Amino acid sequence: MKLAYYPGCVARSTGREYEISTRAVCDALGVELEEIDDWNCCGATHVSNEVVSTALAARNLVRTDIPVMASCSICYSRLRAAMIRLEDRKVREKVNSAFDKKYEGEKEVEHVIETIARALSKSGDKDKDQEEEKGPKDLVVRPLAGLKAAPYYGCLLTRPGGGIDSPENPSILENLIRTLGAEPTEFRLKMKCCCGPIFVPEEEAAADTLIRILLNAKESGADFVVALCPLCHLMLDANQVLLEKKFGEKISLPILYVTQMAGLALGLAPEELGLDINLVSTKPVLEKLAAAEGEKTEEEGAEVC
Amino acid sequence: MRIGVYVCHCGLNIAGVLEPDILTEFAKTLPGVEVARDLQFTCSDTGQETIKEDIKEHKLESIVVAACSPRLHEPTFRRVVSEAGMNPFMLEMANIREQCSWVHMDEPPQAQEKAKDLIRMAVAKAALLNPLTGETMPVSREVLVIGGGVAGIQAALDLADCGLHVYLVERRPTIGGYMALLTDVFPTNDCSICVLAPKMTDVYNHPLITLVTYAEILNVDGSVGRFTVSGVKKARFVDEKLCKGCLNECAGVCPVEVPDDYEFGLGKRKAIFMPIPQAVPLVACIDPESCIGCGLCAEACPVDAVKYDQKQEDFRFDVGAIIVATGWQSFDPARKEEYGYGRYRDVISALQIERLLNAAGPTGGEVVRPSTGDVAKSVAFLQCVGSRDETVGNPYCSRVCCMYALKNAQLIKEKYPEAEVSIHYIDLRAGGEGYEEFYIRAQRLGINFIRGRVSEVEEVDGALRVNYEDTLLGGFRSKPYDLVVLSAGLEANRDADVVGNLLGLSKRPDGFFEIAHPKMRPVEAHIDGVFIAGCASGPKEIQVSIAQGEAAASKAMGLLVRGELALDPVVAVVDSEKCIGCKLCVETCPSMAISVNGTALVDEAACKGCGTCAAACPVDAIGMTLFSDEQILAQIHAATAVKGQYPFIVGFLCNWCSYAGADLAGTSRIQYPTNMRAIRVMCAGRVDPAFVIEALKGGADGVLISGCRLGECHYSKGNYQAYQRVQVLKGVLEKVGINPGRVKIVWCAASEGEILAKEVRKFVRELEEMGPVGTELAPPGSPQPSGGGS
Repeated sequence: MKLAYYPGCVARSTGREYEISTRAVCDALGVELEEIDDWNCCGATHVSNEVVSTALAARNLVRTDIPVMASCSICYSRLRAAMIRLEDRKVREKVNSAFDKKYEGEKEVEHVIETIARALSKSGDKDKDQEEEKGPKDLVVRPLAGLKAAPYYGCLLTRPGGGIDSPENPSILENLIRTLGAEPTEFRLKMKCCCGPIFVPEEEAAADTLIRILLNAKESGADFVVALCPLCHLMLDANQVLLEKKFGEKISLPILYVTQMAGLALGLAPEELGLDINLVSTKPVLEKLAAAEGEKTEEEGAEVC
Repeated sequence: MRIGVYVCHCGLNIAGVLEPDILTEFAKTLPGVEVARDLQFTCSDTGQETIKEDIKEHKLESIVVAACSPRLHEPTFRRVVSEAGMNPFMLEMANIREQCSWVHMDEPPQAQEKAKDLIRMAVAKAALLNPLTGETMPVSREVLVIGGGVAGIQAALDLADCGLHVYLVERRPTIGGYMALLTDVFPTNDCSICVLAPKMTDVYNHPLITLVTYAEILNVDGSVGRFTVSGVKKARFVDEKLCKGCLNECAGVCPVEVPDDYEFGLGKRKAIFMPIPQAVPLVACIDPESCIGCGLCAEACPVDAVKYDQKQEDFRFDVGAIIVATGWQSFDPARKEEYGYGRYRDVISALQIERLLNAAGPTGGEVVRPSTGDVAKSVAFLQCVGSRDETVGNPYCSRVCCMYALKNAQLIKEKYPEAEVSIHYIDLRAGGEGYEEFYIRAQRLGINFIRGRVSEVEEVDGALRVNYEDTLLGGFRSKPYDLVVLSAGLEANRDADVVGNLLGLSKRPDGFFEIAHPKMRPVEAHIDGVFIAGCASGPKEIQVSIAQGEAAASKAMGLLVRGELALDPVVAVVDSEKCIGCKLCVETCPSMAISVNGTALVDEAACKGCGTCAAACPVDAIGMTLFSDEQILAQIHAATAVKGQYPFIVGFLCNWCSYAGADLAGTSRIQYPTNMRAIRVMCAGRVDPAFVIEALKGGADGVLISGCRLGECHYSKGNYQAYQRVQVLKGVLEKVGINPGRVKIVWCAASEGEILAKEVRKFVRELEEMGPVGTELAPPGSPQPSGGGS
């Protein structure tokens, strides 16, 4: 299977580990990524101007004829929103007037969580390409047994509505966590805004919300939080030490990208997944995983004896 | 044809601008005119007598009155000619007041020319009029009421009390509808079932009401006065005649328990059950889905009423009218996922709180938290769940939720004075007799009113929290509650779609059945002989539903009480020689009056005479008894005979909106150019593209078609069809080189005289720019097709 890869700006800055792990996981799943040539901003920087933000997104979409995959939820949401806006003939004409290659509609855009979930689902279409692909039992070589993951959706994965899951009470991430062998925790604030967009103008309000989210994740018993969006990741991961200081709370909760979590279960090495780039140390996760594996090996060994 | 023409002075209303004596002399020159006179007031007794005397003396066969609008005095003059022994349809009016003297007061010479044209057009049509007789048809005096909720019950009782036989068909095992399940009802807080049950019993006992419960209607044929309805009565596996309604015996031994849909999932019932204690008929029912066939109930029944081999029965009856009272269904509150209905046990729906508060409900009237069974100490009502909410596709207000929430809040507060009760609202709507007082009473009882739409309900450590913006105090807040009640809105009953489709009812964008006029005809459907009552046409409180049941009953009575129907002779007629049976007319007809069996057949009782089918027929096989092709073409030819003005416009105005709008421009003295000669048609959909082409061929520079505003067509969709045809026609004109701008279609309501005037002004300007018709075919500078000269 081949997808057009739209990295988005963060992939080359604060979200390097997301890109590294996305490429590694897709490789392991047999999904070929073809980076969109000469891609530009997804439009998120110009949301106040509908035409400009739509045109920015559309310029990326017209550069490929195969389905597009984005890992950043913001990019994913902007690309989808643009496709919806472009259904309006007037908007489309206006946008197309600036393009050589016209936007003709009927594009497909998916988020990397969909790519992973589909590759792992056994009930995929049985056409020729996919018969060669392996089911989850074959691919998940190192199930994350014993690990508890707090599924953090953030706001944009499921918006605009009518997309991959319910915008109010989604479950796609919990399902993936289970498929990978870990246990999703009851994480009440999984849909709360990460406050990325208001962090600069309303730092106090953002800090109040962020500490609530982190504490709620911690109270849910999670070993780590799964993030789907580089901005969510930045707010929970890079900010964590500052928040610990500000509120006098010890949190130390690793924030893994969904691709990092999936990569571990697929048997990839931590370095291949950029786990050393995360600011909050991911070591506790790796240690717990190793310990659980050790126990398992011991048990298996015992059986043999 | 011997025609008499009467030109009215109308005092100075006409004579102040036009010269009736000259018009009269002009009329005398027209073909077929035997006598022409100008009269001071034609509608006066003297005027009427003059016409009658002339008819007798000159053996007149057809009459033209050039005076005011036919919408004003056509009935008067039809009566006059019929009193003189002439067929009332042998009359044509030329509207030289509302559409001439009153709107062209500053241009008497041009107005005079226009009046001449209008008279010439009227005389041309008058020469082609046919005598028409309104026949009468015997009708069934029986009525079908669909739906046994309070609206249907009331309609059935009123009709039966007046001596009309009623079939009341209900799809569930008991009548009573939602009202039978509610606790006390606003604004008097009287017990719902206590006021409803006597009416339910009356239905059961009424000698003129045939009650058919647990039944589905499967087919409706025929039209007003003679519908044939058929369907099935489902097997309830209990003999209605034998069952004594004791219930304890059979249900007591039944081993199967399933959620009770009459308790909205809060309680349980057995596989053999009585829907409600006050069920009518008071007969048990076995739910075949859950019955395991153990036979215990049959053994237990003291009268051997349980019949496992009972079969469904077909029914069929003939009725003259149908009342649709199919009610509503609740918005599914689980669709507002942020409120957690279906996820959190203590988030319940408004119908569930009705059952909790009901002494006959699953908790005996105790308001408890479903998760613990303890009495709730704090209760929140969340308003507008699924109403006034574009995100779920329901922009409308459900109208009753404010009041029922106020009522339930009061009931809780009265029963548990210590309980904290809050209503989270966006606007409180308490419009109705005693409603505002009811709201004030709730405030005095200490109920909290918090303004702002709730953003989410979440469960924190087993307790519900409601998060919201308080738009009065300002700021985001979070408040814990034991119980959250979602005031779910009312939606159109999807189960009624079958009936709606069988009857051909149209739906509004909100999904409810559309009534014939949103204001003036509140219980009539577009289909003759079909009436709509209660929530089938939109959310309503009980008192309004009852009033609508009564109104629908009275309309049905008015229709059928004489046992015969006078048929309007203005109908479509099919020439079966020409008809090719293509069924285009069947799709076009808004009244479902045409059927095709080889060739098309018009049901004259159902036809409303709009003429859209005649315009649609590809082989001109459909004619109209009035407003016929010949008559309209004659008017077009008469209009374009002289063409005394440039640009020259032939107009087609629909009778109900645009012609009335043009009349209003007259009564309002709104002045507009004299360039248009208007032809009255019943509907814009009547305008055959051939008429337009004929007008252009005759030399008209433009053709203006004006219909009702979109969505307001008297015949429901004729204006859309007119629009479609004009678009196609424009394409054709463009191909042959005629500027498609010469045909214009506009919308004008009866209240929009100014709009009609404005459109005429605009069209005149546009046509002036285009130049006379045909100039586009030979643009200046291009080589002339015909040589020979120079």
